[in-house]
Amino acid sequence: MTIGEVLITIVLGFVFGWTLDKAGLTKYHKIVNVYRFTDLAVLKYMMSAIIVGMAGVWTLKGLGLVELTGTISTYVPGVLLGGVLFGVGMAAAGFCPGTVAAGAGRGNLDYLIPGFAGFLVGAIAFGLSYQSFMPQLTQVANLGNLSLPELLNLSPGLTVVVVILLFALVLYVIERTHAARPDKVTGEGPTNPSDAATPNAASKFSKQGTD
Amino acid sequence: MIKNPLKQEEWSPYVAGAGLGLVVIFSLLLTHRVPGSSGAVENLAAFLAQPLFPDNVYFKFQMPAVISWQVWLLLGVFLGAMVSAMLAGVWKFDRNPDAQWKAVFGTQTWKRWVVTFFAGVVVEFAAGIAGGCTSGLAISGSVQLVPAAFLFIPAMFVGGIPTALLMYGKRY
Repeated sequence: MTIGEVLITIVLGFVFGWTLDKAGLTKYHKIVNVYRFTDLAVLKYMMSAIIVGMAGVWTLKGLGLVELTGTISTYVPGVLLGGVLFGVGMAAAGFCPGTVAAGAGRGNLDYLIPGFAGFLVGAIAFGLSYQSFMPQLTQVANLGNLSLPELLNLSPGLTVVVVILLFALVLYVIERTHAARPDKVTGEGPTNPSDAATPNAASKFSKQGTD
Repeated sequence: MIKNPLKQEEWSPYVAGAGLGLVVIFSLLLTHRVPGSSGAVENLAAFLAQPLFPDNVYFKFQMPAVISWQVWLLLGVFLGAMVSAMLAGVWKFDRNPDAQWKAVFGTQTWKRWVVTFFAGVVVEFAAGIAGGCTSGLAISGSVQLVPAAFLFIPAMFVGGIPTALLMYGKRY
């Protein structure tokens, strides 16, 4: 990599880390609460990023300005197993590989020291056991590196529009139906401004939880 | 009066998420890569693993000890969150920073550190199996319409919901 590429990459990471911190995702409770359905900021952040990224990337691809990386392969049972385990660890820790770096930057020493040490040990354990199961696991139900439109023979443009509309619909339903519920630990209601009308419901829950 | 956004600790997650969406677009346009984090940890782990286990094939060929593109990106992530928190006036070293954690599991630092260490092991091992994490697989994969991303996101919840339920019990 040239110095220029390194600098561009650091700037891209800088904005990434900045947005993680501004979304509150450098905090344990923001991450675990998405799995408790009391604060859906993680989901809102992810889906907003996906909608914007997808619209931009596929427009640029249509104009012939970018190529997709095509490096992610889909081996169904392996991805599902990895995803379930990942969720277990993420809910327990309250961070994932990106947010551990961001949280460490914010000064969270539980991220910087034991969190990062755990990640290094996990990576070494994976590398040492790789040969014993990964070649076999990635053979099972491997759909290759194809994207959804390629795999299902769909129009890429139409697929992008449909997926963006579906994601936007999910976000709309989340906002409209107050999908997040009041938190028994903090007593806080969902972070939706329109929920301000029901503060009593939230405070009632908080009293049960502070034992 | 509108408060200076640089001094606000938090923004709307939609605005922040849109910012990451722009990062994904410019990353592909300028560097021909998409953001990912777990691979950087593997690169860094290889610096420890190679001298300890010189015959290991994975760290020799698949994930060699190099300061890769992802490592630079992760350095940027670290710096970006640091400057964000500093400008907002909330940056500080804290061994056990989260009020909700302390309210539920107590204020002892060792307890938090034991959990983060072992959960960290699980997270990175699992990212290895799945082929990516929240950034590289869930977000960058979804953007590129990779089927694996749409399997990984619901699977995260299948693992995360019962874990949170177990840890929180009646306070879930």
